[in-house]
Parts: sequence; C-alpha cells; structure tokens
Amino acid sequence: MSADPEFENLVKLYYRDLYRFGFSLTGSEVDATDLTQETFYIWANKRHQLRNPANVKGWLFTTLHREFLKICRHRKRVVYEPINEGAQNLPHVYADVVNRIDARTLLNFLGQIDECYRAPLVLYYLEDLSYKQIGNVLAIPLGTVQSRIARAKIKLFQLLSETKSRTAV
Amino acid sequence: MNTSEAKEKLLFYRGRIDDADPRFQEALAQARRDPELAEWLREQASCYHVIRSKLREVEPPGDLAEKIMQNRPILFRRDSKQILKLAAAIIISASITAGSMKLWQRDTHRLIQGREIVVKGEVLDLTCYVAYNASGPEHASCARDCIRSGLPVGIKGENGKVYLLTGKDAHVNAELADYAAKIVTIRGKETARAGFAQIQVEEIRKF
Repeated sequence: MSADPEFENLVKLYYRDLYRFGFSLTGSEVDATDLTQETFYIWANKRHQLRNPANVKGWLFTTLHREFLKICRHRKRVVYEPINEGAQNLPHVYADVVNRIDARTLLNFLGQIDECYRAPLVLYYLEDLSYKQIGNVLAIPLGTVQSRIARAKIKLFQLLSETKSRTAV
Repeated sequence: MNTSEAKEKLLFYRGRIDDADPRFQEALAQARRDPELAEWLREQASCYHVIRSKLREVEPPGDLAEKIMQNRPILFRRDSKQILKLAAAIIISASITAGSMKLWQRDTHRLIQGREIVVKGEVLDLTCYVAYNASGPEHASCARDCIRSGLPVGIKGENGKVYLLTGKDAHVNAELADYAAKIVTIRGKETARAGFAQIQVEEIRKF
C-alpha cells in the first residue's frame, strides 16, 4: 500500500491519548480500540475539510466523543442520581488513598458517573486542554464545562472516600 | 474573596495548565495568605496528579497503531487544477473532432454511467481469473505480482458479480496489489461498457 506519512505521523502522535480517552469513557478495551480506529478512519476521509491544521487534536477528540455518544444512544440508558456542585460538597480524599487503588478501579468509578459529566472530567485529568478547549471538544459552553467537571469530581471523590471507608473497616 | 469562594475557584485549578488563566489569580493569592487554604490546595493538587497518572497508565494494545494504519482508507481525490486541465483538453479535443464524428457513424460502445455503489469482496487479478479461473489465497502471490505489473484488477462481490476496478484518472493497481486475494470494501461509481461492469474507485477499505 502507498505510504501516507501525514496519516502515520498523526496516528503515532495521538493514538495513545485517544485510546486513553476512549477507555476512560467506555471502560472497555474493545470499545476504546474501535473508537480510536473509527476516529482516524473518519479523519482520513474528512481531513480536507479541516480548515485549520492546528486544531487537529481538538478535532480528533471531538470526533471520538461524538462516536462515543452514538454508542451510548444504542445502549441502555442508566439513570444517575443528581449531584450538587460546589467545593463544600467535595469529600476530603487524601492523595495516598487514591494512590493505593489501581487504574482499573478508578476506571470503574468513572463508569459510575453519567457520561455527560464523565467526558469533561476525563479531559480535565488526561489532557492539557484549557477549559475553553474542553468546551470546544464537547460542544458545550465554558460554564457548563466547569459545572459538569465540579459535579463529576464530587461524585468521583464520593466513590474514592467510600473506598477509604471500606479500607478503614 | 474569602476561603470558601477561593475553594470554589481552585476546585478547577490544575497547576501549570491553568497558570495563565487570570480567573485563578485572585484565589491563588488568597491561598498564599491562608495556610489552611494552601494546605487544601496542595492536597487537591496531589490528588489531581495521582488520578492523572493512574489514568495515563492505560496503554493501548501493542498493535493498535499498525491496525489503524493498515485500515487507512485510500481516497482518490481529484486535483482541481488537473480537472481544469482535463476539462480544457476535452473541450478542445471535442471541438476538433466534432465534425468528423458526424461523418464517422458506427456502433461504438458508450460508457454507461451508473450510481454510486459499495461492494465487498475479493480483490482479483482479472487476467488469471478470466483465463484460468484462478483466485483465492493460494493464488494470492501470483495475483499480487500481476496486479502490481499493471494487469487489470477487479473485485468479485459477495453475490458473485465481478467488476473491473479503475480510478477516475489513474490506475488503482498500486493501491490494490497488497490486497490481492483479500477481502476489501470498495466504494465508487458503477459504470459499464460493452456489457463489462466496472467501478471507478472512490474509496478502498480493508476488512
């Protein structure tokens, strides 16, 4: 097959980050692999439509997230409990408690958070994106980005603090 | 700004990523004055970095990058300058020959334009297939060499129909040689001439 250095460079540069984003959203290796492959497939077909090459990272993450939302629409909807945002509701969790849990447990916790809160939280932790860039990737306003991150973080810390309680018992 | 208000702001602070964001400056200044807030912020930062590093421990399967590159679709986009040159050449050529065409009437085989179709099937070296009914994995090596050398390349769809594969402006042999005897999906425009079906390939996707 003829070489496509632009495509290969892009894959090498971003496939890990995209896979991690996909894995954190889905908690599934298979889904994360599919999402990553599909994202690059879509890019290869539509790259000529991308006006500003500097936006390629954001474009890739947006595309993966859109594909993830398509998966969600086809799966059973889980009803999540509402979360009150605000720093006063953030349970106190020490870093060494988080350090004791493994990545798999952390991903399970993320899976218990509504996907509309989970995606901004994952980008908040995983990628060096500004809040404005996160908003662009997820197509939501800046205020909503922060509100969703706050709620997701509180939920995650609640789950982490419950682990701490179980460990203490 | 009191401690509680500063915490609301600093809940989102991630260190160097947000250092340039002016919205955090006042709250960070408050943390420098308030030891309890500073301690809270340190703990938040530690948690942030631990969670971040845990999530970044996830590694993709070793062959993922290779798979993505192998499954890259091959597009045959037309260069607009080439199209214009081609169009100009066609118009000039048509003008010159129009008169003689009227005088030279005979039964020519016109290209019958069709719709866009998607066909999944085996990539064939058409010469060996038509002449010797050779196809399948045992013939892959020969088919690859034949396609690479420029002999006609085709696809046998799941319904058994065979198409000649061509590009709009160029041959597609180089792109398809490595897929000889393999299953691919082709998207393109179906055309026919003298009863022979062909697809003008727009996209190739490996299955």
